[in-house]
Amino acid sequence: METIKLLDTLPSVFEKRDDLTSEVWHHNVLIQRSQHVLIEANSGAGKSSLLSYIIGYRQDYFGRILFDDHDIRSFHVSDWVQVRQHNLSLLFQDLRLFPELTALENVEIKNNLTGFKPRKQIVEWFDALGIGDKLDAKVAHMSFGQQQRVAMIRALVQPFDFLLLDEPISHLDEMNSRVMCDIMLQEVHSQGAGVIVTSIGKHMTLPYDKTYSL
Amino acid sequence: MKLVWKLLRQHVSVPQLLGFFLANLLGMLIVLLSLQFYQDVRPVFSQEDGFIKPEYLIVSKRISAVGALSSSTTSTFSESDIQDLRSQPFCKGIGGFVASQYKVACSLGIKGVAQFGTEMFFESVPDEYVDADVKQWTFDPEHPMVPIILPRTYLAIYNFGFAQSQSLPKISEGVIGLVDMTIVMRGNGQEQHIEGRVIGFSTRLNTILVPQSFIRWSNEKFAPEADTSPTRLIVEVYNPTDDAIVKYMNEHGYELEDDKLDAGKITYFLKIVSAIVMCVGLLISILSFYILMLSIYLLVQKNTEKLRNLLLIGYSPARVSLPYQLLTLCVNAAVFVISLVALYFIRQYYMQMIWAMFPQMDEAPMWPAILLGITLFLIVTVLNAVAVRNRVISIWKNKE
Repeated sequence: METIKLLDTLPSVFEKRDDLTSEVWHHNVLIQRSQHVLIEANSGAGKSSLLSYIIGYRQDYFGRILFDDHDIRSFHVSDWVQVRQHNLSLLFQDLRLFPELTALENVEIKNNLTGFKPRKQIVEWFDALGIGDKLDAKVAHMSFGQQQRVAMIRALVQPFDFLLLDEPISHLDEMNSRVMCDIMLQEVHSQGAGVIVTSIGKHMTLPYDKTYSL
Repeated sequence: MKLVWKLLRQHVSVPQLLGFFLANLLGMLIVLLSLQFYQDVRPVFSQEDGFIKPEYLIVSKRISAVGALSSSTTSTFSESDIQDLRSQPFCKGIGGFVASQYKVACSLGIKGVAQFGTEMFFESVPDEYVDADVKQWTFDPEHPMVPIILPRTYLAIYNFGFAQSQSLPKISEGVIGLVDMTIVMRGNGQEQHIEGRVIGFSTRLNTILVPQSFIRWSNEKFAPEADTSPTRLIVEVYNPTDDAIVKYMNEHGYELEDDKLDAGKITYFLKIVSAIVMCVGLLISILSFYILMLSIYLLVQKNTEKLRNLLLIGYSPARVSLPYQLLTLCVNAAVFVISLVALYFIRQYYMQMIWAMFPQMDEAPMWPAILLGITLFLIVTVLNAVAVRNRVISIWKNKE
């Protein structure tokens, strides 16, 4: 997958609003693989909605969204399974981890789908992010900041063309977010993938190719 | 898969599953048992009579109280009676029963050891009415040996009345060849010992049947002067269910000997009872299936968030459905296997009783019940699988 195109896209709930000053909604946006894109927004501007549309979770929008010129409204269940396993990886704002499982199991349950990363690599990332001692701890017993790092590792253990990060560092300190950035960029570069980051203020320090205000 | 199961087994309710398991086991067992029991018991009522075809009717005169006290001639058919019957449109052919007119005694034994003896009589019908092997159904005065067809009730009388009380071995039709029969005939100042051999049993004939040639020869020899008017007739008809037959018989005060009708009635009621029991079993199965569906819906409901997250990180609906589908498959398979095992043992138990009563009965196969069990198992499992899959798809579509 080389491009994501938004053609005159607008969330259904914004239909009646005439005070939109967005660079994304009602515009044509082209995001290419290997680009780093930042989408800045105030809360309520629809950034999580945008990522939900792209990941195929929601369809309540007007306009069109194209992956390589294929309208994603025409995607079947099997297409989306393929996309979610091999083309797009999303770090959810609400993380969507499984609190019943340990930190390592949360990553393994994703890695098992494609067997993309060896266990050794995963453990190294845990160590680098300062949660090496939490491998076997239940996610339910970890702080949100620690959970955010687990979710980031989970987002990296699959092949992808675009990595979508929904407020990835909202609960991280300076040092941890820098380490996370490094690991993430290294993986993105090795896969030759693009990154789309959303933020409502505190954002990852990356060499962005484009910044959109939502 | 292990991790997915670890995640999705949360909220699996063991009591609910156990409830379904027991209810479905009961339902399945009742369904299979009713079918198997019907299969096993039906031959008792529908044994084919190999010697007398269904279109042969046996006619006798009704014996009234007055007739029984007066002379015996009223119970025999005169030549004009026979002619009248022969001229009826339903009548295809007619033959008389001819009885032995001398004294007959017979002793029965097994393997040379005499067991019991009795006075008896013989009757014959024209040979063309007996559907037996021609080579067996002959009599040659040079090598005297009499083939005999006994009423099947005699076998039951021996097995239950006599053998049971005397601790003698029971005889099945298959080993009747082992029975030695010595016949002593007396009359006309003569006595002769002759060997008899039972070649089979009939449910339709209430007599001891021997070949016509034997009766002719023996009556001539031991009772040359006796009257041989028949007391019963065997009538071949075109259609045994013809109303005209019953009407004619009633008008002339004749009786039809036919146990077919009773067996037919019993088979009919057996069918109805089996069907009712099977319906009850099916009803229990359906209700238990309903319990399982509710349980699964509840389970999926409780685990909706987990299922949705699995789908969002790239799991396919099929893969997410699989653990629950396997769970129902295992429970259903266990129900199927256990009900078959239970069926086997229950059947052993009642078949012993049936065989004790009807040792000659053929064993009905178990495969119809097994086939029915497999069908039920597949239907329930497939419906479960489809239901689980539909629930997961509705989560995928954000309808949950």
